[in-house]
Amino acid sequence: MSKQTRSYNAQKVIERMGKKLNRQIVGSLTACVHCGMCTDSCHYVLANPGDPTYAPAYKADQIRKIFKRHYDWTGRVLPWWVKAKSVHSDEDLETLKDTVFGKCTNCRRCTVNCPMGVDYATFNRMARGLLVSVGIMPEGVAVVSKDQWEIGNQMGVLKEDYLETLDWMSEELQDELKDETAVIPVDKEDADVVYSINPREAKYDPRTISDAAKIFHIAGENWTMPSEGWDMTNFGLFSGDDELGGAVARKLFDKVTELRGKKLVISECGHGYRSTRCEGQNWAGMDVDFVMESSVNTMLRYVKEGRIKVDKSRNTIPVTFHDSCNNARSCGLTEEPRELLNLVCENFTEMYPNRAENYCCTGGGGAMSMSEYTPRRLKSGKVKAEQLAATGAKIVVTSCHNCVDGLQDVIRHYKLDMKVTQLVNLVADALVIPEPVEVVAPTPAEVVAAVTAEVEKAVPVEADAGPDAGGSLAGYTILVTDDEPDFVVFASAILEDNGAKVLQAHSGEEAMEIARRETPDLMTLDLGMPGTSGSEVFEAMRNDPDLKSLPIFIITGQPELRKLIYERDVRKPEGYLDKPINEQGLLTNIRKVLNVSRT
Amino acid sequence: MSELLHFAEHQLQEGALLFMAVVYTLRLTWLLRFKAGKERQAATGLGDTNPRKGFLYSWANVAMPWAMESTRKKLFIYVQFVIFHVGVVAAIGLSFVIPYGAHLLEIPWVVLALQIIIGAAGLVGIMRIVRRVGDVYMRAISSPDDFFSLFLLTSWFGFAFLAVPNSTANGEWILMTYFFMTAFFLMYVPFSKISHYLYYPFTRYYLGKTMGHRGVFPIRRIS
Repeated sequence: MSKQTRSYNAQKVIERMGKKLNRQIVGSLTACVHCGMCTDSCHYVLANPGDPTYAPAYKADQIRKIFKRHYDWTGRVLPWWVKAKSVHSDEDLETLKDTVFGKCTNCRRCTVNCPMGVDYATFNRMARGLLVSVGIMPEGVAVVSKDQWEIGNQMGVLKEDYLETLDWMSEELQDELKDETAVIPVDKEDADVVYSINPREAKYDPRTISDAAKIFHIAGENWTMPSEGWDMTNFGLFSGDDELGGAVARKLFDKVTELRGKKLVISECGHGYRSTRCEGQNWAGMDVDFVMESSVNTMLRYVKEGRIKVDKSRNTIPVTFHDSCNNARSCGLTEEPRELLNLVCENFTEMYPNRAENYCCTGGGGAMSMSEYTPRRLKSGKVKAEQLAATGAKIVVTSCHNCVDGLQDVIRHYKLDMKVTQLVNLVADALVIPEPVEVVAPTPAEVVAAVTAEVEKAVPVEADAGPDAGGSLAGYTILVTDDEPDFVVFASAILEDNGAKVLQAHSGEEAMEIARRETPDLMTLDLGMPGTSGSEVFEAMRNDPDLKSLPIFIITGQPELRKLIYERDVRKPEGYLDKPINEQGLLTNIRKVLNVSRT
Repeated sequence: MSELLHFAEHQLQEGALLFMAVVYTLRLTWLLRFKAGKERQAATGLGDTNPRKGFLYSWANVAMPWAMESTRKKLFIYVQFVIFHVGVVAAIGLSFVIPYGAHLLEIPWVVLALQIIIGAAGLVGIMRIVRRVGDVYMRAISSPDDFFSLFLLTSWFGFAFLAVPNSTANGEWILMTYFFMTAFFLMYVPFSKISHYLYYPFTRYYLGKTMGHRGVFPIRRIS
C-alpha cells in the first residue's frame, strides 16, 4: 500500500517510531530468534493454554514487524521472508492496542527469562507511547493521563481535598496518640524527609497516610508532605508517554528542591517507586541533588536504628509477601521488605516463585484502569491465585498500591480466604508508642486556610454536594455496583461509616442477582462496565416486577452514556453523579434519594 | 582434487567470509548509529552489585542454565541448544580444518568426535524442526526465515557429518556440497536470524548493565 493510502495516525506511528529507537530497543527488536523460551514465563500464556497470541514473542512480533518493515533492511527488501508488515489503518492500530495494552502488563518477567536478553517490556512501552501519541489507547488510560496532566495527579484529587485529607488524618493521629503535636507538617522547608504518596491513598486508603505519619512522628523525624507535586505515581510509565513521565517527575523533583528537602521518601508503590526513583530523572532529563528512597527502607532503618520500637507479637496472623514487578524486576527492591516483615510479623511464609521471578498481580502496567480488559486480566489471575493459595497465609503483604488492588481482585475472583495489606500498616500495628514527640510545623489546617481562596477559584462545586452535617444511614441497605474495585471500596467505606449496610457487586449480572436476593433500599450503578452494560441492567431492572421499585442511583465516569439511560422508555433513575465523586457529594445525594434528613 | 573443489575450499570460502565480514561491519555500524540510552539515577538495590557485575552476569547467562527459570524448567531444550551450537562451531571449524589442517582428520578419534558432535547437532536440528512445526506457539512465532534457517543448518550438518573423513573415495560431491553450502550459509547468515550471535553481546550487555545498576542482576533466588 502506498504512503498516500495510509491513515494519518498510522503514518505518524511509523515516523515517530524512528525517533523512539535507541540502541537497546533496536538490539531487542533485532535479536529475537523465536526460540520460544519466554512463552511459559507469561501469566497470560499460562492462564490461556493453546492461545499463541499471548506468547511474549508473538506479542513482541506485532511491534517488531513494523520496525522490520520500515527500519530494518531484510524487512524492507523481503518483508514476507521475515514477517515484516506495516500498519496502514486505524484498525491496524486498534489491533496493536489490544496487544500492547490488553495482553501484557509490562511486568518484565519474559525479559528476565529471555536467553537473548530481549527486553520486550521496554519496547512494548514504546509501542504504547506511539499509540498514545496519536490518541489510540484504552479509555481509562486517556482519563488517567488527562487527570495527571491537568490536575497533577492520576486520580484527579483536588488540592483542597488532598489537604483536607491530611488535616483529617492529622486529627485522627492527634486523637489516637493523645498528642497535639502529632500532625502532618505540610510544605515545611529544610525537612530531612519529604514524603510523597500515591493519590489512591488520599482518595481511597487514607489509613496508609496516617500510619506513615504515626511512624514518622514516633521516629521523631523532621518531615513534611508537599502541598503540590505530592503524587509520586506516574502514568507515563504505563502509557509510554515520556513527556508525561518527565513532566510529572519534574513537578515532584522541583517541589522537593523548592522545599530544600534532603531526602524524598516514596510511599509503598511499585510503579511510583520505579517512576520516581528509577525512571523519572531519565524522562525529565534532569539530575537531582537530594536522595530518594522507598518508605520500606526508611521504616527498616528506623527499626534498626532504634528510632521506633516494634512488637511483632501484635502481628501473629500468617503472612506472605508479593513482590511488585516494578520493585523487584526494575529496581532491585526485594530484600528490605522481607527483612522488615520479619521484624514486625511473627509468621512470615515465602511465596514461590518470588523476588524477580514472581508473577504479576495482574494489575500492573495500568491494567486496573483498563476495564475493557478486566475479564482477560482476571482469567490471567489464575496463576497468582494458585501461588497465593499455596502459601497457606491469611494475609498477603505487598509494597505496591496497584498490587493491592490487583491482588484484591484475584482473591475475590478466585474466592481465596486472604486479605491484602501493606508494610506500613503492619509496622504501624506493631509500633510501640512512647511519650509524645514535639514537632513544630504548619498544620494542614493552616495550609488549607492559606490556599482556600486560590482553590475556590479553580474548583467547580457540584450543585448537590452540600456540606455534610450527618444524617445516619443506619437501617438502610445499599448495593454498590461498579467494576472498579477501588471505587467499590471507597463508596462502601463512606456508606458503612455512616451506618449503612453495604452490599457489593462488580457486574450487572451480579447486581441483579443480589438485588433480587437481598432487596436493598437503594442501588448505585456504574454505566461503563464490561459484559452487560449498566444501561442494559438499568432497563432490565426497571422492567422486572420484583426489582422495578428499587431506587437506582447512577454513578459514572462516562457522562456521555447518560443519554443511554434517559432515552429508555422506563422510569428515570432516582439520582445521578459523575465520577470522580467525593464523600460529601455522595452522602448528600444518597440521603436525598432515601429521604434521610440531616440531624 | 578437482579445480572446482579446490575453488570451493579456498577462494569461495574466503570470498564468503569476506562478504560476511563486510555485511557484519555495516550491520554493526547501523546498530551503533542508534544512541545508547543512559541511566541518570543513582543505583538501587542492596549495593552488592553494579553495572559491571550486571553485564558480566548477563553475558555469562548463556552458560548458567540455573540462572533463568526458562532454562531451569526446560533443561532438555537447553541441552539441545548447547549441542546445536557446539555443532555449528564444529561444522564451521571443519571448513578450515579440511583445507588447512587435513592431517588432523587422519586421526581416527578426531573424526569420530567431530562426527558425534555434528551428528548430534543434526539430530537436534531435526528435533527443532519437529518442535517448530508441531508446537502451536512455535508455529505462531515462526517466519519463513526461521524455517529456512533451521532446514539449512540441519541439512548442512548432514553434509558436514559426511564430509568429516575428508574422503573423495566415492567422488567429490559430498565435499563439494558441504563447501558450497558453507559458503551460502556464510553469505546468508547476516541477512537471517542466524546472525543473532552478533547482537547477543549488545542486548545482554545493555540489559545486564541496566539491571546491575538497578540491583536486579545477579538475580537472587530462594527456592
